[in-house]
Amino acid sequence: MFVLEKINREEALRYLGYRGNEPDKKTLDIIDECEAELLRAASPKYLYKRFDRLEFENGCVAVSDIGLRLCGESVSNHIKGCGGVVLMCATLSAGADRLIRQYQAADMTKAVITDALASAAIEQVCNAVDEEINELYPQEYKTWRFSPGYGDLTLDIQGDLLRVLDAQRKIGLTLAQSGMLIPTKSVTAIIGISKTELSRQRTGCAGCSMRHNCKFRKTGERCV
Amino acid sequence: MFRKLLKNREFIFLDGAMGTMLQSRVLKAGEIPELLSITNPDLITSIHREYIDAGADVIYTCTFGANSYKLSDCGFSCSRVIKAAVENARRAADGRDVCVALDLGPVGRLMEPNGDMSFEQAYDYYKEQIVAGSDADVIVLETMTDLSELKAAVLAAKENSTLPIICTMTFELNRRTFTGVSVGAMAVTLEGLGVDAIGINCSLGPDELPPIVKELSMWTNLPIVVKPNAGLPDPNSSEYDICPDDFAKSIESLVQYGVKIIGGCCGTTPEYIKRIKESLDGKQCAKRSEIRQSAVSSGENAVKIDRPRIIGERINPTGKKLFKEALKTGNIDYILSQGIEQVSAGADILDVNVGLPEINEREMMITVIKALQGVTGAPLQIDTTEPDVLEAALRIYNGKPIVNSVNGEEKSLSTVLPLVKKYGAAVVGLTLDEGGIPKTAQGRFDIAKKIVERAISIGIKREDIYIDCLTLTASAEQEGVLETLEALERVKKELGVKTVLGVSNISFGLPNRELINRTFLTMALQKGLDLPIINPNVEAMTGAVKAFKLLANIDKNSVEYIASYNDAKPTAEKSASNGAPDIGYSIEHGLKKEAARATRELLSTSDAMEIVNRHLIPALDKVGDGFEKGTVFLPQLIQAATAAQGCFEIIKEHLSSTSGSKVSKGKIILATVKGDIHDIGKNIVKVLLENYGYTVFDLGRDVPPEKIVKTAKENDIHFIGLSALMTTTLKSMEETIKLLHSENVDCKTFVGGAVLTCEYAKQIGADYYCRDAKESVDAARDFFGE
Repeated sequence: MFVLEKINREEALRYLGYRGNEPDKKTLDIIDECEAELLRAASPKYLYKRFDRLEFENGCVAVSDIGLRLCGESVSNHIKGCGGVVLMCATLSAGADRLIRQYQAADMTKAVITDALASAAIEQVCNAVDEEINELYPQEYKTWRFSPGYGDLTLDIQGDLLRVLDAQRKIGLTLAQSGMLIPTKSVTAIIGISKTELSRQRTGCAGCSMRHNCKFRKTGERCV
Repeated sequence: MFRKLLKNREFIFLDGAMGTMLQSRVLKAGEIPELLSITNPDLITSIHREYIDAGADVIYTCTFGANSYKLSDCGFSCSRVIKAAVENARRAADGRDVCVALDLGPVGRLMEPNGDMSFEQAYDYYKEQIVAGSDADVIVLETMTDLSELKAAVLAAKENSTLPIICTMTFELNRRTFTGVSVGAMAVTLEGLGVDAIGINCSLGPDELPPIVKELSMWTNLPIVVKPNAGLPDPNSSEYDICPDDFAKSIESLVQYGVKIIGGCCGTTPEYIKRIKESLDGKQCAKRSEIRQSAVSSGENAVKIDRPRIIGERINPTGKKLFKEALKTGNIDYILSQGIEQVSAGADILDVNVGLPEINEREMMITVIKALQGVTGAPLQIDTTEPDVLEAALRIYNGKPIVNSVNGEEKSLSTVLPLVKKYGAAVVGLTLDEGGIPKTAQGRFDIAKKIVERAISIGIKREDIYIDCLTLTASAEQEGVLETLEALERVKKELGVKTVLGVSNISFGLPNRELINRTFLTMALQKGLDLPIINPNVEAMTGAVKAFKLLANIDKNSVEYIASYNDAKPTAEKSASNGAPDIGYSIEHGLKKEAARATRELLSTSDAMEIVNRHLIPALDKVGDGFEKGTVFLPQLIQAATAAQGCFEIIKEHLSSTSGSKVSKGKIILATVKGDIHDIGKNIVKVLLENYGYTVFDLGRDVPPEKIVKTAKENDIHFIGLSALMTTTLKSMEETIKLLHSENVDCKTFVGGAVLTCEYAKQIGADYYCRDAKESVDAARDFFGE
């Protein structure tokens, strides 16, 4: 159970286009208010499951136990050499969507700010899942979270991921016909797990020992 | 057969999990278990038999996800899978004293406004299942999390079958479902719809259930069902943590709340059912005292009418120019903001009236109710004189509403009351009939009595009837005021029903109306008024209700009153105009009140259009330039636009009251294209365009191309903005532009959205590509030639 206590302000400001600038006092007050409301409205939930039987064939990765095929060059390269994958999904839940909807009718400034805060928040939830997986498998190396829609992995795969994780029943996460996750502040992702060390490009920040106090991450940049 | 069990048995035992049994034998993660009914019927039948042998009185068919959405690519039709599953259960039940329950779970798509499934679509999915499963003995709707979807399912069951209905929803530790439904909302809505038993299944184990079951027992008289998981799952192994013995012990502790129907959900096996049955052998179901309470509910919250509750009257076009304008241009956000404002001012329930001769009231009522239930948890009162509008609203409303209204005329009684009964609503009864409004209290009491008797005779509960003794204007019929109050008092005491009264009419034609309104409100409350219909934004009125509750010893220890007024600041000082910020400064800094004040002042000396062109737009331009240069950021841009919006509204009102001329610089359609439901970007564009003086026809999200074509033609609009967020919905954008061209709509289009590029915009034939909201304004200026 993950409790969101504070939202990553830098990240939210980056989404709002501040690029390192400090908002004015009036806007800061509104951000504070929106953050408090969002923390009340959201109830973060996540699921993940590890699968260890992978087959690489014709540009696809087949997760054998569940008959799931992840197709595309980018996802194949991402998982190449891994002995297993963790499939995960996370959501801020319907309460966050509802709050943003309310603000859209009553106060667009708050809507835009809350939307950015919520995007930062779901990222935090995913980072917490990363940490949990790290603790669960401390001896192995993990890739960064690869989501449908990245590279040539199509959004069509979302439905299968949700089904495998039983996401609708367990955390209320579903798919719209356009392929959009609902509630909207949600993520699905695939993490490769390897017994041998992976290149920095593939492990990303989650696998880096500097991740908690990296100066690049603070401004939303990356070192590689 | 199920109803006989309900009558004769102390407890009814349901089966345990089907999925768990299948997973342990044949099923892989991600496979569709329902197909085993066809591919391995003997296995399914043998599991049913195991449960029957363990003591189950009711077995659930293996059809939880057997709907045409989830089965779409599997090669078998929904109907075929369901028929096979019911047959398998029938085979197992043959010769045994066991009911077969058609088990139906959620469709798997989220309902509007969270998701993209409409009420009507949900209804059709369930109808198909219910028709196919007609050989079952009872219909079970389980693991539900959204009352809208559950209501669609219940109506599909009621209208296409005569079988009894059991409904169970899935709650979390905060006693709400994933979509925010409270225990009370579930109970009040479902009991109104006339289902046979309600309760809780899945998601939690029996140890977590006592507070939820206890709460449920305080909201309903219906038999209570529990079908919990075998504890909580381990996230890794997915195994559940309670053994059959402990499970049975925990269930025993729930019996004190009157639980009558018991089974197991995920993780349970025949062993669990056997143990529950053994542990309850010889025990008695707790006797429950009858609950008689008046309550209504939204899709989230139930509201008991056990104290004065405020019904907000502002969603109503009568005498409101801006509201009428909003209805005509389809500005739903304006109507929603009226709802949100009233709730934050203290309204418990919102009256919804969208009747206007120029518009299609039925369509508008459906749109407004769907939108309102997406943004407010306050129950709604459906206010219309048209029976077809009323029924359409009652169908799609996701809670238990109030119907406003029925009266003593035969025609009204015979059309409105059956709808109230069918959809499980509460109803306002007006004390008037063919002869008009009786002058005396006795006359109104007689009509009230007739309405109450008639309603009760068709099965509406006394608690669901709210009588309105009708307020007349004091200036015209001064002697009538006390007649109204006397009638109210008698109706309440002698007929035992709740009372409702529109208050504001009393002062019509008199000076200082607020004083009269407030005094009359207090008099009526003292006579027993339960539901004052007022403008909650007027603090004096809302405050009077709060003070009354304190003085009448309803607001115990003055908790609510103190919470409202403890940190009340002295009333805002009237800001002197000397040294006050001017309109430009106020807009640039997003100061709403100051901008509005400055506008009012300017209007006394300057021409309205001059204010728009010389003050408002230059100020917005300055902010817009800053935004482009990266010195002003999105939140500031919107704050400035919102401040300007306030100015525009003042100017619009001024113009319509003085010359009647309009301040519009041109008409624009905005829509998020079909399939796309993320519309924050479009809404930002809307705020900006409106504040540059354009009239925006906002068609909302998930808008079919045909609707855009129709709106453009009907309203003679030539500039159309389309937004799409997803790569998958860019196609709809292209289709919309194609249709506009092929239908020869004389228009230009501007497009925007996260994944859209300039090249793609050109490729699909858009006339303007707008990277952000500011560029939309530039496009509009270019098009309208400024």
